[in-house]
Amino acid sequence: MRDGDLLEIRDLTKRFGGVVAVNRCSLALAPGKIYGLIGPNGSGKTTLFNCITGLERRDAGEIFFRGKRIDGLRPHQVAACGIGRTFQIIRVFPELTALENLLVVTREPFEVAHRRAQELLRFVTLDRLQNEYGGNLSYGQQKLLEFIRVLMRDPELILLDEPAAGVNRTLLNELLAAITRLRDQGKTILIVEHDMKVVMGLCERIFVLDYGEKIAEGPPAAIQGDARVVEAYFGR
Amino acid sequence: MRWGIRAALVVGLLLLALYPKVATGYGIQFMLQLFMWVALAQSWNLISGLTGYVSFGHVAFFGTGAYAAGILITRHGWHWVTGSLMGGVAAVILALVIGYPCLRLKGPYFAIAMLGLNEVMRVLVSYFEGLTGGGSGLSLPTLHASREIYYAMGMTAVGVTGLAYLIFTSRVGLRFMTIREDEIAAEAMGINTARYKLYAFLLSAFAPGVVGGLYARDQGYIEPISVFPLLTTITMIVMALFGGKGTIWGPVLGAVALFVLQELVWARFLYLHQILFGAIIVVVVLLMPKGILGILQDRYRLPRTV
Repeated sequence: MRDGDLLEIRDLTKRFGGVVAVNRCSLALAPGKIYGLIGPNGSGKTTLFNCITGLERRDAGEIFFRGKRIDGLRPHQVAACGIGRTFQIIRVFPELTALENLLVVTREPFEVAHRRAQELLRFVTLDRLQNEYGGNLSYGQQKLLEFIRVLMRDPELILLDEPAAGVNRTLLNELLAAITRLRDQGKTILIVEHDMKVVMGLCERIFVLDYGEKIAEGPPAAIQGDARVVEAYFGR
Repeated sequence: MRWGIRAALVVGLLLLALYPKVATGYGIQFMLQLFMWVALAQSWNLISGLTGYVSFGHVAFFGTGAYAAGILITRHGWHWVTGSLMGGVAAVILALVIGYPCLRLKGPYFAIAMLGLNEVMRVLVSYFEGLTGGGSGLSLPTLHASREIYYAMGMTAVGVTGLAYLIFTSRVGLRFMTIREDEIAAEAMGINTARYKLYAFLLSAFAPGVVGGLYARDQGYIEPISVFPLLTTITMIVMALFGGKGTIWGPVLGAVALFVLQELVWARFLYLHQILFGAIIVVVVLLMPKGILGILQDRYRLPRTV
């Protein structure tokens, strides 16, 4: 492991029956950068997220976070290490209010948590909906709520599973600005996203998966010209 | 508004405290059983209403408490108050032992495991005749203490409802609810769902154990069939659903409404009341899954704590 890497994945493999969802995949994230994870549907992006966060047990390989093994930990233990994530399919708590959705995930004293929650709600302009049930918010609003719920715990590494899907242009620009700001604060972010404009504009380094294997890695410009990536997306 | 509700609560409790001074024997028995149902429905609400893990065997804790207290009272000469409290402790120990494996099961599998637990407990109690009297039951020494048991039942019902209030208005309560809302998201957000589920389960087992002990003392005689009936589980579930599961006052409301109704109908038509009860289950599940309070909360946009 290179010194100073925040997250390192070594030869990770995950199978579902006969399907190899992630196949001997290795990657490393240095702190303070925005990374992209792309690939066609079914290429193993979300499975990789699930393995990192402990929702799926890996079949082989190792995952290190700040030099410590985290594969084999339960999801809440991984979260406690400082890894936060959002989901591709929204998972806000529908019968908790927007404010409660935020308060429930921290152990800070109530006043501190409350102030932080208010700030975050204002930040994504959901403050006037704070007492509305999560399930009553629109799709885009739930997406934003899930995003700030991750920030409530102030994680070092943030995994975002398609943050741009279903969010309108204005909000999207704010969201992207927020992600950049988080990076400037020293956070590390790994994004799964299908919107290539978002990925290419935001990420400093991109990993490309195809059939569970990492087929390319590099800065956006190099990825766009990579023959294997073009082939994976468009066929030969 | 707030003060009005509090004042009404205090007055209501005072009236209940003074009631035995003027009550008939029937009145005391009626209220005592009402308290029992409030405590049972509210306890079920603590695990199933909060975390969404539907327990179909909650009467197992009731029966365990009844037998623990019955044995301590008859064989070891314990006072019925301490005996009943130990009944609660026994129920919590049972919850600890079976909660650990069973709470890993999800949805219907957990419900069925709990159903099985109740059958296992009933057979176990029948089998260990030396301790429990087996199928011929356990007779407690004669004691006339209806009034005292009335107060003990009442305090248990108030205690569980107070506990529910504390939980529902705290962040611990919200963490319990995240398990019902989305267990995977809760885990990913750093909430140790296995631990919180177990906490909720243990909290929900104590009062049924105590109430079981008090029931044993009140009845003076218990047998496996009388303290492990599936019907008791169903009744407490229906009460909680009818009033509104996942709310503080729903189970209280449901217990009062259905118990009074049951008593009225039962007195006139012995068999009809079971049909009526079945009909209520169907109506509640089909038309008002959130219960009376749930509907009111939706319509008038009331907070969950009302």
